Amino acid sequence: MSGYMKMVMLGESPSGHLQGQDSLQGQNGPGRGQGGSWQGKNTRQRRKDVHPVSGNRFYVKLAWTGIRNNRRFYLPYILTCSAMVAIYYIISFLTTNPLFDQMIGGTIMRGLLILGCGVICVFSVIFLFYTNSFLIKRRKKEFGLYNILGMGKRSLSWILCWESLIIAVLSMTAGLVLGLLFSKLAELAMTNILLLESNYAFYVSPEAIVDTAKTFALIFLLLLGNMLYQVWKSNPMELLHSEQTGEKPPKVNWLFALAGIVILAGAYYLAVSIKDPAAALLLFFVAVIMVIVATYLLFISGSVALCRLLQKNKWYYYKANHFVSVSSMGYRMKRNGASLASICILCTMVLVMLMSTGCLYMGMEGSLRERYARNIMFDISAKDLGVSDSEYAEGLRGVVEKSAKDRGETVKNVLDYSFVDFGGYVMGDEVYLDSKEIRFQANTWQMFVFSLEDYNRLAGADETLGADEALCHVSKTHYDYDTVTLGNEAQLKTWNIKKQVGKFVDVGADASQIMPSMFLVVADVEEALAPWLYDMVEEGGQEMLRHWIYGVDIPCGDEKQKAIFNDMLENIGAMNERVMNEDGGLPFVTYVSECVAMERGSFYEIYGGLFFLGIMLGLVFILAAVLMMYYKQLSEGYEDQARFEIMQKVGMTARQIKKSINSQVLTVFFLPLLVAVLHLAFAFPLVYKMLLLLGFSNQNLLVLVTVGCVLVFALFYILVYNVTSRAYYKIVSPASSSGRSSR
Amino acid sequence: MNLLEVNHVKKVYTTRFGGNKVEALKSVTFSVEEGESIAIMGESGSGKTTLLNILAALDKPTGGNVLLDGQDLAKIKESAVANFRRDHLGFVFQEFNLLDTFSLEDNIYLPLVLAGKSHAQMKARLDPIAEQLGIKSLLKKYPYEVSGGQKQRAAVARALITNPRLVLADEPTGALDSRATDELLKLFGAINKAGQTILMVTHSVKAASHAGRVLFIKDGEVYHQIYRGDASYEQMYQKISETLTVLTTGGERA
Repeated sequence: MSGYMKMVMLGESPSGHLQGQDSLQGQNGPGRGQGGSWQGKNTRQRRKDVHPVSGNRFYVKLAWTGIRNNRRFYLPYILTCSAMVAIYYIISFLTTNPLFDQMIGGTIMRGLLILGCGVICVFSVIFLFYTNSFLIKRRKKEFGLYNILGMGKRSLSWILCWESLIIAVLSMTAGLVLGLLFSKLAELAMTNILLLESNYAFYVSPEAIVDTAKTFALIFLLLLGNMLYQVWKSNPMELLHSEQTGEKPPKVNWLFALAGIVILAGAYYLAVSIKDPAAALLLFFVAVIMVIVATYLLFISGSVALCRLLQKNKWYYYKANHFVSVSSMGYRMKRNGASLASICILCTMVLVMLMSTGCLYMGMEGSLRERYARNIMFDISAKDLGVSDSEYAEGLRGVVEKSAKDRGETVKNVLDYSFVDFGGYVMGDEVYLDSKEIRFQANTWQMFVFSLEDYNRLAGADETLGADEALCHVSKTHYDYDTVTLGNEAQLKTWNIKKQVGKFVDVGADASQIMPSMFLVVADVEEALAPWLYDMVEEGGQEMLRHWIYGVDIPCGDEKQKAIFNDMLENIGAMNERVMNEDGGLPFVTYVSECVAMERGSFYEIYGGLFFLGIMLGLVFILAAVLMMYYKQLSEGYEDQARFEIMQKVGMTARQIKKSINSQVLTVFFLPLLVAVLHLAFAFPLVYKMLLLLGFSNQNLLVLVTVGCVLVFALFYILVYNVTSRAYYKIVSPASSSGRSSR
Repeated sequence: MNLLEVNHVKKVYTTRFGGNKVEALKSVTFSVEEGESIAIMGESGSGKTTLLNILAALDKPTGGNVLLDGQDLAKIKESAVANFRRDHLGFVFQEFNLLDTFSLEDNIYLPLVLAGKSHAQMKARLDPIAEQLGIKSLLKKYPYEVSGGQKQRAAVARALITNPRLVLADEPTGALDSRATDELLKLFGAINKAGQTILMVTHSVKAASHAGRVLFIKDGEVYHQIYRGDASYEQMYQKISETLTVLTTGGERA
């Protein structure tokens, strides 16, 4: 019982619950402050006698005052937890959205969102552990004091439990309220990005709430477990002095620093040197891991090594401007290297994510056009090379035009060409038609063979070719040879490449595939491919088919286009039936019809979904980066306070101190951003190649979007700098009021 | 001319909301000649630290003035005051106030670096001082690696390296054990003998007994002073103790 007495006396600031008493006694005149608190204690005592549970109440009170008195640390923490809860709820809410049941790519989108939920969950665990460890460090002294004054570890654990419970309840409530408020907004944003119809009804998803509550209850439980472990394993003296253990000068690990440089150089080289997009996909992950490792090594060891090198240069080091900054930077980097590296990587991730998903989304119309050269496309493949000139083709052209005309529209931009396509195994300047001998080194390419006539028409050119001459165009990669040899074991044939030409037509098959394509233009397709054209199938080889591509634009809205397209399909169906009846078969092997208006939806669903997820995850990462910076600045501030006081006593002017603080804070703060931008610059070619695979090839747009992302992000970063550095200066410079007046 | 003249210095603190006024120093007057070593004694709250802060130009007196080499400290411009402090004064603190991010050597160099001296110049000055203070072998070590006495010697070296006109010491033996205290006082004696003027504020009778003159402050005024003359440390110790007894038992001013 006396234990409780003591507790109240030492309680950080029992004023919270005593204020009421104070005001009650307000009329009693002088000495009421003391009388009040004394009275308060008595009341407390009495209450305890009446209610045996007041022990618990006492812990609650201690926990609550603990949080209140440290609100500078706890408030941002609770806000972060709330934000995490809110974002998790929103995404979880979106996955339960019934809209996905109706839309075509709904399952893909839902899958993406569930993935996003997982990412946020894992991230929350890591991140909340980080911030929590910071809080524990700051509270240890207080706990040490309680411990020495006779409060057992069991009691401390109770306080911690109550604290966690309070924080969990506060942040979950706030988070869920925020989540509910913003869920509709997020839904509208998503439907807008995905071009979906949405109603304006507001609804709550109980499943999502339960899911969120469960997930975060588990996370908070984990955090509590960690805190309890920390308290149990330490002794009171350690707790009391945990904040001021003498710091050893940073040891330079030259090996790590060097390894960091080598690995980073390697990663950058990889990123820049990759030519083949398909390889880019695989190597991207290798490069990402290398960059992450190198960033940590460089921030932790490299920075300290650099400071040490500068210190060794006596001429540089013993200068008023460098002396203090260089030596404290070493310590600063030793302490913060890991968190700065984390911030840097987070920044890079945000930037890469925003840039790539943003590009895909904004470049979607372009990609759509590349994939579908015209609004309505027909792709008819046949064994007969003359399919484009056949009666059937004539009939189809007629049906298409008539269907449009029946609805009062005319077809425009008619695209009409044909080619022969097949797969090729490319080794150097040789293209094999089969892979009988397993050629490991061979790359699989898509081959398109065009006639010169089609080429001249499509490209608006007037080329002439001899029988052994060809024009060549290669997409997604490059081909540096003067000749190309085509064939199988039975026969090889070589053409001289008269000219490498630019892209002359958007072929959907090329845009939708990951592998590179080679477009060969020859004088006479049938003659050129004669050796393999007909007998390949019998030998178990691939079929060489002629594709006739027919596409038209119809200048009207998506809905009307869909209607016209449906008419066409109906009419073509009727025609096919007639042909079947007359000829006993159809003159084609496959028949594909596509309408952009119909495909657009699924394009938007996938790219828009990615973009949406990119924004959401970007937000989470930015939030994390901001909070890390905030806590870092705070903890640094407290550590630097004493240091700057000494410097002032030793004769550093307020201005010198300010300058030194500024240069250090700026370096620490903007180093991650600068390195992130550098990473991004080197990642650029890799990202571009990966986007190529996804059918995006507008490099200018990518540059624009990248620069835009960096600018927006930097702006945001500077904003955060202003806020957090103010907190820092507030801590560091209360003593140097002269510092302010001298300005 | 006296090196330091303190004339009727008065310091009144006003509490934050302008309510109560606290008079830390009423009227302090004394002077210090070149080459003297002076100890200022007094109980907690007698205004010792306030006086030291005013002498160090860290604080300004409410009334009266302080002249160092004839220059009024209060009239030095705000922007020049740090430079003045660095060039004319040396400080030794109770808590050493070494920066833990610097080796002892760099800690000692700090004022010179701030003054823009070259490394060669600094080294030339450090060598004899380090020799005299016996810290030559410790220069590359960091504060956390050495004992309190060694730290304080490094702090003394930092105070001396600028060749200051006056060394101000605030309870320099306060955080030292008795052996380290003896060593430091011996060191102060030697430095003083070499011509360095030292002004020390202390609680410790032992520390004060090494000074050439001891001033006693009570209630914001110089209450009494003792000159060593030819007295030995022991005799001086005795005299100081007696004075303190009178001071604390509240005897009226003699």
